[in-house]
This record gives sequence, structure tokens and C-alpha cells, in this order.
Amino acid sequence: MKPIRIALTKGRLEEKSVALFEQLGYDCTAVREKGRRLILPVAGTNLEIVLAKAADVVTYVENGVCDIGVVGKDTIMEMGGTFYEVADLGFGRCRFALAVPRGVDFYEGYHTRCIASKYVNVARAFFEKKNMDVNIVKIEGSVELAPILGLSDAIVDIVETGATLKENGLVVAETIMEVSARLIVNIASLKLRKQEIEPFITQIERYLAGGKQDA
Amino acid sequence: MKRYDKVTPDGTRDLLFDECVSRAQVAGRLTSMFRSRGYREVITPSMEFYDLFCSAAAHFPQETMYKMTDSRGRLMVMRPDCTIPIARLTAARLTGMPMPVRLYYSGNVYRVSYDMRGKPSELFQTGVELIGSSSLRSDLEMVELAAAGLSDIGGERFRIELCHIGYFKALIGNLEAGPEEKEAIRQCIEQKNYAALGDLLEPFGKNPAAAALKYLPRLFGGEEVFEKAYSLFSDGGATESLDSLKTVYEHLQSLDLGDRVLIDLGLVNQAEYYTGLIFRGYFDGVGEPVLSGGRYDNLISDFGAPLPATGFAFNVDAAASVSAPPESDLPDVLVFSDSRHLAQAISHIRSLTRDGLTVENSVFDQLDAAVDYARKRGIRRLHLVDDRIQELDPETL
Repeated sequence: MKPIRIALTKGRLEEKSVALFEQLGYDCTAVREKGRRLILPVAGTNLEIVLAKAADVVTYVENGVCDIGVVGKDTIMEMGGTFYEVADLGFGRCRFALAVPRGVDFYEGYHTRCIASKYVNVARAFFEKKNMDVNIVKIEGSVELAPILGLSDAIVDIVETGATLKENGLVVAETIMEVSARLIVNIASLKLRKQEIEPFITQIERYLAGGKQDA
Repeated sequence: MKRYDKVTPDGTRDLLFDECVSRAQVAGRLTSMFRSRGYREVITPSMEFYDLFCSAAAHFPQETMYKMTDSRGRLMVMRPDCTIPIARLTAARLTGMPMPVRLYYSGNVYRVSYDMRGKPSELFQTGVELIGSSSLRSDLEMVELAAAGLSDIGGERFRIELCHIGYFKALIGNLEAGPEEKEAIRQCIEQKNYAALGDLLEPFGKNPAAAALKYLPRLFGGEEVFEKAYSLFSDGGATESLDSLKTVYEHLQSLDLGDRVLIDLGLVNQAEYYTGLIFRGYFDGVGEPVLSGGRYDNLISDFGAPLPATGFAFNVDAAASVSAPPESDLPDVLVFSDSRHLAQAISHIRSLTRDGLTVENSVFDQLDAAVDYARKRGIRRLHLVDDRIQELDPETL
């Protein structure tokens, strides 16, 4: 029997997902003691856990080499794609925000703004909705640097506590949207392996509805 | 300096040898099945005017189409779909024919794919259209033909899922919401995004249509779906849609396709385009649908001929990925002659191929070179033609 492959976003979402699965009674010892392995079995089940970077979780699920994935809504918004997004797992909460140097009125004046972001598609969609023409510059690392160095007027980024912004003299000018971890499923997998996948989803939903989510 | 002279464009590929055979085999099996049911082939151009794909029902976002201009500056596209050109062709040239018209086609379609996401931008499709009938019989014919094609190629590993878009349309039509809000709801149902769908429908309170919409993404599975769907909503054509879907489903049961058929009332992709029964086909082990289709009664009237129609298309390469690899295409015989017997060698090749063998002509002047080539290529028999014909084994020479 072919295993059901679950792709987890490496790092914090992986830890939270493993904690969730353990709450549901799955044995995730192999994941906890993974070493350098990237594909790990869940003992006593037909499940297999794959560890990948966020964007790759989407790619693997979309192409059907993994059946299920746990990935942040931020990555889904940035990448788009065709798959089912069946549950909001409630953890990994943060928000997309437009942040500007403290004391600056972002919307004042009429010069074309320059926006630095790692999430260029999210930034583009946000300003398209406002009918604003902006220059978007893709930055891979600490986006907060761009306005400090004078490259951009503002940034679009993920904000959790706002501490990093504050330390770098930035404030949130506008919240774009709330994000959190999502459970995604390949379209063909949900249809062809309904008997295996649906109970898993239901189990997670029941647990989340029980109000025991770890925010 | 030429930088792109040895590679193919992103999302396209060269097909070699076995890959061509396997595509041709799958397409050939499908098209001969279509012909045996009275479908006739049409070939439309790979390029069409952009205007064709802007029609209200067609709705291809412009960023998904490859565009260019013709010699008079008119905007053209590499066709992103075969059905719309067929709608054009039907409206322009086939309205005088006895209805229904049954057509099939094979050809490439072109879609700009996301960058580096593993999706092709050139897809080979084979499909059918049944034009001029809105009856349930034509819906059944279409689904059964799709299932027969899936079964022929994928054997036991196929599933086909059915939906009737009329159910969704009845629900959403009953909701007092603006078009943008309705589109947001449709998207959540398409993506089975239960959480966001619940939030969107919250303001509608206990409205029965809202309650049914909220449940819609979960309405997939087997026969049990019908009972639930009937009980959730019955107005605005919902019951009639379910009735016709159920009738088709029951006929498929009688054809022993029961365990192959799934229902998903949340299949609401392209809700503007489709008007009735829609369906998709899957193969175990292929992560995307290998077939999709359905009823589109409004499309051809966009081109001036109000004709109902239904059809489907196979993604041939996705379907071929599960079919048995083609048999070896290694030649059976290599024929060699000296320069005085070239005509005799060719006569000999003609007679061998008439017997059904695959034969290569040796273009080398020397027997040694021919033997060496036969060994490298793996050809087991070498025919040496002079006044008589001698069969040699290249390995033992």
C-alpha cells in the first residue's frame, strides 16, 4: 500500500504540527529523532512525513508527490496554485503588514513609492487593489534594512510581535491580512484516497473545534 | 551571441522515440474509440485571434495566454483550449448540418504556466464535443465515453467524478450578495477552504442556501451524497439538477461502473462556463485530473448560434504516464549489400517490410562497418545481399 505522504514546513511549523499529531495519538518519534533524514515514517500507520521548505511543500502537494501539506497562509498567498486548503490549523499565527519608518505618512504626496518585500506577489496584489502604482523590489533577507538604507519607502512583510520592526525604527501602517498554518491536500489524492485522508482531516478538525488549539 | 539556440522554451519539451510512441498509442486508442461512436475529426489552427477567447463564457485571463500579432497587427493567441475554436467553427460553418454533430480533435494547447512549478505550458489534448443536444441521453453518452476511454488506458486505476453545476448555481442564486462576494464564496468552495468559507457565509445567518453552501465542499463521495444534498436545498432548480445527476449516476451503476464513479457537488471550477453536468477523470498515481469536461450550453451562442453542447478533453501525456510502455522499436533486420547489388538490397527490404518486419538499410560501404553498427544498435539479424541472400548474426561474426 502506497503511504500517505505529509509534507511539513521545516522549523516551527514542523514542531507545532508534530505536537498536534502527537496530541492526536500519532507516534512521531522518528520525526523527533530525524537526524539528517528528510522522509520519516509514523510508526504503526501508513503515514510518512516529508520535511521541506515552505514553498516546496506547496510544490510537492500541487504536483501530487505529497498528498497532504502543512504550510503558512503567507506562502500560499505568495505562490498561489491548485490544491485544497482544508483547515486552518490555528498555529503559526502572524500577519502581513505594510510597515513604514516611524513618523512617516505613507500616503502623503504623490511620488511613486518603492516597496521592499520578500512577498512580491502579495505586495503587488495589495497595491493593485488600492489602484496604486508602486515599484516593488524583491529582498531575500531582512527586509527592514531596505527603508533604513534608503532603498524603499516601506516594506511588506510578515509581522509577529512587531519587535523587529520597533528595533529598526519601523511601525505598522496597515495590516494586509492575518495568516496562520494551513492544511492543504492534493486534488487527486483527496478524491482517490478519501477513505484514508478524510478521517485524518476530520480528526484534526475535531481537535481544533475542541478549543485546544495552541495559538 | 546566441544564447537560446540549444534549449526549448520553459514548459515545453522534445519528445523522443518511446515518448512519441506512447503518446501516439494513447491518442490513437482514444480517437479510434471516438470514431467507432460516430465522432468525426476536425483540425483547427494552433493560432487564433485573441477576440475568440475574450467571449463572456470563455473567460481566459489574458496573462495565461501566449500572444503575438499577425501581418496586419491584429492580436493573436496560441490557443489555450480546443473547445472554443470548435464553438467558432460550429457557429460559422456547421449550423446547417443535421443535429447533433459529433466532433473529435487532437492537438496542442498552450497556457502560460507558473514559473518553475513543474507544469507544462504546451499540453497535448484529445477530446470530443457533442453539439446540438441538451438531453440527458447526451450527458450520459459523454460520461460513459469518458469512462470507457479512462478504462481503456488506465484499466482498474481510474475514477470519474461527477457534478451538476446547477446545484451550486441554485444555491448561490438564492444568496443576496454582490458578484465579488459570490466569486469569493465560489473560490472557497473550489479550494475546499472550509474555514474561510464559514467566515464568508457567517453574515447570512440561518439562510438555508448559505447553510447548504457551507456544506457544499463536503458533498463529495458516493451515493450517500444525494440524500444529504436533497435535504439541504430544493429551490431554484437544485432538485432538478440533482435528479438529472442521479439519473446519470444510476445508469452508470447499471453499466458496472459503480465503484469507479464519485460525486463531488463542490466541483465549481469555471462555474460561468459550464451549465450542467460536469466531470473529471483521475488515475491512481497521477496528481492531477487526466480528463475534464462538461456541458456548456451558452458558449456557442456567444458566437451567434444558440446550440447546446457537451464535451471533454484528455490530457494525453498525463494519461500516457500510467499506460504500459510501448514495445521495443528495435529494427528486426539490417540489410547490407556491396555497391553492385543496391537495387537487389532495396527489393529485399521491400519484401521484408511487406511481411511486417522493421528493416533498416545499411548505408555503409564496408560489411565491417555494417556489422559494427548492428552490434552497437542491438540489431540481431544482418542480411547480406549479393547474388543470393545470406543471414548473419552480427554477434558471432
